[in-house]
Amino acid sequence: MNCTRSLMLARVLAALGPRSPAPLSPCALYTASAGLFRSKHASLGQRVTRLPSRCFNSSARRPDAKPAPSSERSDQERESSHTGAGKTLVTYEDLFERAARDSRTKATFTRVLEVFCKEDVRRRGHVEFIYAALKKMPEFGVEGDLSVYNKLLDVFPKEVFVPRNYIQRMFNHYPRQQECGVQLLEHMENYGVMPNVETKVLLVQIFGEKGHPMRKYQRLMYWFPRFKHVNPYPVPRELPRDPVDLARLSLQRIAGDLDARVTVYEMPSTDLSESGEDSSQLYVVGIQSPDQQTLFSKHNPERPVFVEGPFPLWLKKTCVYYYTLRADPLPPEEKVEEPVDPERSFFYPLELDLDLDRELGDDDDFDVDEVEEGPVFAMCMASSGDQATLSKWISGLQKTNPILGRTPTVFRLNSGPREIQTSSEPERKEDEDLLQSREMTQ
Amino acid sequence: MLLRKVGFSPVLSTALRLAPSATGSARPTESSLFTYNGRLYASQAAEAVLDKHATGSETATKTSTDKKTSDLESKSFAVNMFKGQISTAQVFPFPSVMNEEQTQFLSELVGPVAKFFETVNDPMKNDELEKVEDGTMEGLKEMGAFGLQVPSHLGGLGLTNTQYARLVEIVGMHDLGVGITLGAHQSIGFKGILLFGNKQQKEKYLPKLATGETIAAFCLTEPSSGSDAASIKTVAVQSDCGQYFTLSGGKIWISNGGLAEIFTVFAKTPVKDKTTGEVKDKITAFIVERGFGGVTHGPPEKKMGIKASNTAEVHFDAVRVPLENVLGEVGGGFKVAMNILNNGRFGMAAALSGTMKGVISKAVDHAANRTQFGNKIHNFGVIQEKVARMAMMQYVTESMAYMISANMDMGASEFQIEAAISKIFASEAAWTVTDECIQIMGGMGFMKDAGVERVMRDLRIFRIFEGTNDILRLFVALNGFQNAGKQLKGLQHALKNPIGNAGFLAGEISKRAKRKAGLSSGLSLHGTVHPELAESGELLVKAIEQFGGVVEDQLLKHGKKIVDEQFVLKRVSDSAIDLYAMVVVLSRASRSLSQGHSSAQHEKVLCETWCLEAHDRIVNDMKALQSSSSKRLFKNLRSISTAVVENGGVVSPHPLGF
Repeated sequence: MNCTRSLMLARVLAALGPRSPAPLSPCALYTASAGLFRSKHASLGQRVTRLPSRCFNSSARRPDAKPAPSSERSDQERESSHTGAGKTLVTYEDLFERAARDSRTKATFTRVLEVFCKEDVRRRGHVEFIYAALKKMPEFGVEGDLSVYNKLLDVFPKEVFVPRNYIQRMFNHYPRQQECGVQLLEHMENYGVMPNVETKVLLVQIFGEKGHPMRKYQRLMYWFPRFKHVNPYPVPRELPRDPVDLARLSLQRIAGDLDARVTVYEMPSTDLSESGEDSSQLYVVGIQSPDQQTLFSKHNPERPVFVEGPFPLWLKKTCVYYYTLRADPLPPEEKVEEPVDPERSFFYPLELDLDLDRELGDDDDFDVDEVEEGPVFAMCMASSGDQATLSKWISGLQKTNPILGRTPTVFRLNSGPREIQTSSEPERKEDEDLLQSREMTQ
Repeated sequence: MLLRKVGFSPVLSTALRLAPSATGSARPTESSLFTYNGRLYASQAAEAVLDKHATGSETATKTSTDKKTSDLESKSFAVNMFKGQISTAQVFPFPSVMNEEQTQFLSELVGPVAKFFETVNDPMKNDELEKVEDGTMEGLKEMGAFGLQVPSHLGGLGLTNTQYARLVEIVGMHDLGVGITLGAHQSIGFKGILLFGNKQQKEKYLPKLATGETIAAFCLTEPSSGSDAASIKTVAVQSDCGQYFTLSGGKIWISNGGLAEIFTVFAKTPVKDKTTGEVKDKITAFIVERGFGGVTHGPPEKKMGIKASNTAEVHFDAVRVPLENVLGEVGGGFKVAMNILNNGRFGMAAALSGTMKGVISKAVDHAANRTQFGNKIHNFGVIQEKVARMAMMQYVTESMAYMISANMDMGASEFQIEAAISKIFASEAAWTVTDECIQIMGGMGFMKDAGVERVMRDLRIFRIFEGTNDILRLFVALNGFQNAGKQLKGLQHALKNPIGNAGFLAGEISKRAKRKAGLSSGLSLHGTVHPELAESGELLVKAIEQFGGVVEDQLLKHGKKIVDEQFVLKRVSDSAIDLYAMVVVLSRASRSLSQGHSSAQHEKVLCETWCLEAHDRIVNDMKALQSSSSKRLFKNLRSISTAVVENGGVVSPHPLGF
């Protein structure tokens, strides 16, 4: 596929060669095709853009986007266009950098697009401009905005790149532009933005019905609706700002039990430390399900339980850390299999008293090797991962799990990838007697 | 009143002197003088089922010696067929357990009871009123119908299970609503006292219950607990002095709940384990009188059928139950409940065989008189097939009912599988027979006046209560697997020491080799079935061999997890039911042939036809279980069900699209 494509590219270039100002050597041709395919090669990019365009039709959709009188331009814009014209990719990025000086918002981003469109009827250098814009999109926070993508697509001149005969259709017509269009759609795909009809209309106007970008669009529209609801538990688009709410959300996601109860052991606002310093950072949010509670109540208090963590949890781009309270898996000799109560069912036996030796041929189940892990009794998220904060959680848990008072608790905390609060000093103001009742080791 | 006429016969005199004792003062001192030996046996028959240490009559001691041998090797046919063996002890020849006196006593009862139901009781009116008419109720009480199995010295008729079955059959033939009222009273209501009650409890409660002065109810079902004992919410807490329990909770759908004075109630009590000292909630059975206070009942439930019987919620609000009213042991309620239910099932089969008899006569009457296209409709093949099948099913059910009641009277301890089979088979056969009766009668059968639609409505509950048929199927299959598993384990054990067990092993191995090769493994009913039925006997032997093989295969395949393979269990128990049905008809038809009954040839045809079809069904089921296609079938069924459940209804869109 790649081979044929680059071959086709080479042929196109060769055919165009005599008309181009600087004929390409075979070696340059090779690099040209390779570079085109990757569309990263700046110098070659220029060469291709200099290929003569036959004619130019502006978008039918936006008749008002025709070249505006230069008097309308502001000085700043003119300045930017001066620096931008004829220069390399960097200049387009500068365009955005300059616009970003005030604010990085959708408004400024679209303004840059508009400026570029108005500046030149021929939209010279639009491919570089689009690549630059794509690169800058996350910075402006518009990477998930469909309307911005459509605007960006609108930067392409219309109908120029539409193949007009079968030869053009057969060979890769305006490969660099098509590649750019595909890249734009891929960018959308990566950010999970589903194209709409406007996108389609634009693509048809720019590249024609059968261009590569159109194919890409069709592929997107085939798969996206199918995967739209693939995750039955989507992470909300906007994560809550409040750390307690965020912790609540993430803990509920981890617990996976609708009966699990979230308890806030320490609210950020309630805690005003004695020194009067701002301790609004401090919070401990825990979660425990009834099943975990009953499991814990059956725990042998002679065996220690461990506070472990931090473990990372990614919610989209946010990473939060949680801690678990767990025990070691029971050694096999202590394992008691809960027998089925023989007096459970009035009408039929729930269990058979059988102990048959079975040969290999008799058992056609798959052999599954199960690795046992220790039970997790509770989970929490805290403002900081130091022992003092976490012991607040433990003492809070003790109210609902009295067994914790008799069980040694061991803190096994990693320093973790997060820089644990530099300023936080352990606040040991919780009940000392509670802590003393527990053997604490680190 | 009707019984009084019969009462002139010398045999009955004692029973009648005791039965209608309206004052309830029939004290054992006097009555025991008049008790016959046979009577004593009869009254103990119900108990003998439980513990074999009955004293007194020679029959009882005889059964106890029988029991000793049966400890080692089960005599139950149903237990043995799961092992691929045939045990003829209980089934051949068709047992007859009644002695002459008992037979005569029974035959003298049958007439008047039948007459009572024909003339006094009006099932339609009962159905309409949604209660048994007062006059009928009084009549039944006077007849002693409320204490059929209560020992005669306690004021009952002291019937054996077989005698009981015969009378219940008559009730079932005429009015199932009345049948339920009677059954809920004595088959389950106070059966607990009869089986587990101590002397004081029996003397205190049974005389009044036997005369119908007080009515009993069986309170097990709760809103949250059907078959799951663990979810029983009714609790009984023992007082500190230990002299009484405080019982609280609610029971639903209690037959006779609104009429009863005496309740057998199952509740959870905290019981301390003697060895470990652990306190556990266990079920205990209590005799609760309405007079204790705190017992209330809801309005009668509106039902589909058996409207004449009273069904209501019963609530117990801090009822103080004295310690002496605990039935059995504290914490032993599960055993009590199990035994009551197991002991009551055969009665259902008997009653339903009567129902079928009644319905068939209606259908036949119509088929013989209705003319269409210039021909009586009984001449048409489709009608003939229906009638024939109806007759077959009735024959099987009736045979089952009396086979089991006789086994129980003989003192067999293992009749649970058989009893469950009879309940499943009878309730389903009765439904089919009644359905076909309505079909034969056409539009006429659909009308209320024909009186069959009421029977149909009444019958529906029989597939549901006292353990739904689906759950009893699991019981049949799992109980069978348990026994087969034990035997297989023994075999595996023997294999570890091949030299010491050479003889045993040689037999087992050759049996299996023959089975694999498709040869007969040497089982035979030759000499036990009548020669004229040899062919049907062969079919039974073949079916059992195949069945035993499949049971063993499935056991090895699934091991303990067979419990969860309900698709397999259902098919295995279907076949088990068919097998048992085959053997009972073979036994009964053999007896008729050898005794030269006038109907013997007819019975032979019934038996042969049944065996042919049942054999085919079994072979089909067994083949399916062994093939891989069944695996796919079960998987498909499971996935369809999951999809439908997830969708909250059918999944496929409407063919019209909206």
